[in-house]
Amino acid sequence: MSKLGKWIDERTGISGPVRSFLSYPVPKYVHGNLLYTLGGLTAIGFLLQVVTGILLMFYYDPSPEGAYNSVDYITFEVPLGWLVRGVHHYGASAMVILAALHMLRTYFMSTYKKPREINWLTGVLLLFLTLAFGFTGYLLPWDQKGYWATKVGSEIAGSVPVIGSWLASLMRGGEVLGQATLTRFYATHVVLLPTLVAILIVIHILQLRFHGMAPAITERAKRNSRKFVPFFPHWVVTDTILGLGLLALLVYLSWSQGVPLDFPADPSASDFVPRPEWYFLFYFQALKYFPGSLEAVATILIPLFIFGTMIVLPFVDKGDERRPWKKPVTTGVGIFYTVLIIVLTILAW
Amino acid sequence: MRNVNLPPLDPDKGEWDEKALNRRRFLEASFWVAASGGVIATVGAGIRFLIGNSLEPKKESWVEIGSTESLTPGSMHRVRYRLRAKDAWRTVEQSGAVYAITEDGESYTVFDATCSHLGCLVRWQEGDRVFACPCHKAYFDHQGQVLSGPPPKPLRRLETKIENGVLWALI
Repeated sequence: MSKLGKWIDERTGISGPVRSFLSYPVPKYVHGNLLYTLGGLTAIGFLLQVVTGILLMFYYDPSPEGAYNSVDYITFEVPLGWLVRGVHHYGASAMVILAALHMLRTYFMSTYKKPREINWLTGVLLLFLTLAFGFTGYLLPWDQKGYWATKVGSEIAGSVPVIGSWLASLMRGGEVLGQATLTRFYATHVVLLPTLVAILIVIHILQLRFHGMAPAITERAKRNSRKFVPFFPHWVVTDTILGLGLLALLVYLSWSQGVPLDFPADPSASDFVPRPEWYFLFYFQALKYFPGSLEAVATILIPLFIFGTMIVLPFVDKGDERRPWKKPVTTGVGIFYTVLIIVLTILAW
Repeated sequence: MRNVNLPPLDPDKGEWDEKALNRRRFLEASFWVAASGGVIATVGAGIRFLIGNSLEPKKESWVEIGSTESLTPGSMHRVRYRLRAKDAWRTVEQSGAVYAITEDGESYTVFDATCSHLGCLVRWQEGDRVFACPCHKAYFDHQGQVLSGPPPKPLRRLETKIENGVLWALI
C-alpha cells in the first residue's frame, strides 16, 4: 500500500471492507454466462443516467414557459447537448430493457426463492421505479408527447374508485396540468427517485453479497460451481467492457437517430395523437379493450394485480425445484405475460 | 434495544457504569418518544406541504365561444378558447378546445372536447357525425353520448349564456 493509502487506512479503516468487496469469489459458471451481466449493466445504465441527468440540470428550466425552450437549447445550441440529452433519452429505454431482462433471468431461474426474497422484492421495486423515472422524465421537455402522456397518466390515477380525483389532483398539484405539475415531476425525477433507487441498489447488492449467487441449476454449471474468480478484475472488466459497449450504442443512437422533441405542449391541439413512450404502449393498448364500467379494472386493478403477484411470488412458490423446465406453471405464466406484453406493444406500435 | 445484554468490556478498557445502566429502560423509552415525535411532526408537516393547494377546486371561468351569428345551425363548430388564469404562482394564458352546436339558432350546446375516458381531445368527424377520440378508439354521437369504446360517461356539457349576441361557456 502506498504511503497515502496507509495514511487514509489508519484513519478510516476502509482497506479491509474494500479489499473484501473486490476479492469476492464469483463462481465460474456465473462469470462465463452473459445472462449474469444484466444486473451490472443495469447499474451502469443507472450511473450513466445520473451523470447525464446532472449535466442536463445545468441548463434545464422547470417552468411551462421555459422548459421547452431550454430543452430545445440543450439539444441544438449547447455543444454536445444532443449527445448528453441523447444518451439520457436512449439510456432510459436501455434501463427499462436491461432491468426487464435481468428480472426475466431471475424469474425463470427462480432465484427469488428463500433466502433471496428481499433481493427479489427490491428488484421488483427497482423495475417499477425505473418506469416511474420514465414517466416523470418525459413530461420535463413540456412537449406534446410529455404533456399528453401526463394528462392521460393523471386521468388513469383519476379512475381509481372513490379517491381517484383526489389522487389525480395530488399528482398534478391541482386540477389542471401546469406549473405545479412540472415542478412536482421535476423534484420527483431528479431527487426523490434517484435517492430511492440508489438506496435500493445498495440493499440489492449487499443482499446479493450476503447470500452469494444462487446455486447452479444445470449439470454443466454445477460442474463449474466449485471454481471461482475474483470480482475484481475478472468480473468487473467484463461488465466494464459491456458497459462501454452500451455507452457506444447510446452514442450511436443519439448520433444516427437524433433525440426526439415534439412540438411545444398545446392543450388545445387537434392534430396530435397522444401516445406514450414505447415501454408503456402495451398498457396503452390494453386500455382500449375495457369499456366504460370496467375502466378501473384496466387502469388500476390489472397493474395492481401484476405488481401484487410479483410481490407475493417468492412466498407462494416455495418448493426446492428451480429448473424452469421442471416448473411448467411459473415458466408458463412467465412466457404468457412476456408474449402478451410483446403482442400488445406490437399492436400499438 | 431492550433486553439486550451488553457485551462484557475488556478489563483493560474499563467497565460499564452500573449506576447509569439502571436508567437504561427509561432512556430507551425517552429515545422512542422523542424520535417518533420528531419524525411524526416532520413527516406530517411535510405531507401537508406537499399536498399544498392541489386539492382546491379549479376556478371556473366564462370563455368566449363566438358570436351566435357565426355558428351556423346544424353544424358542429370547433372552438379553441384562451383565457388568463392563475397557475400556481404564475398567471398564464391557458387554452383548450370545445365544440359548439345549435340546431335552431336559439339554444346552444357546448361540449368540452376532453374525452371522458382519459382526457385526450376528441375530434368531430363530419362524415359520420361522430366525435372520435384517437387515444383509445372511443366514439360519441353528436349529443356527446358514448357510441363505443372505453369512456364511462358522455362528453361534458358546459353551462352557456348569450350576451349581446355572443355565446359564452363556463369552463
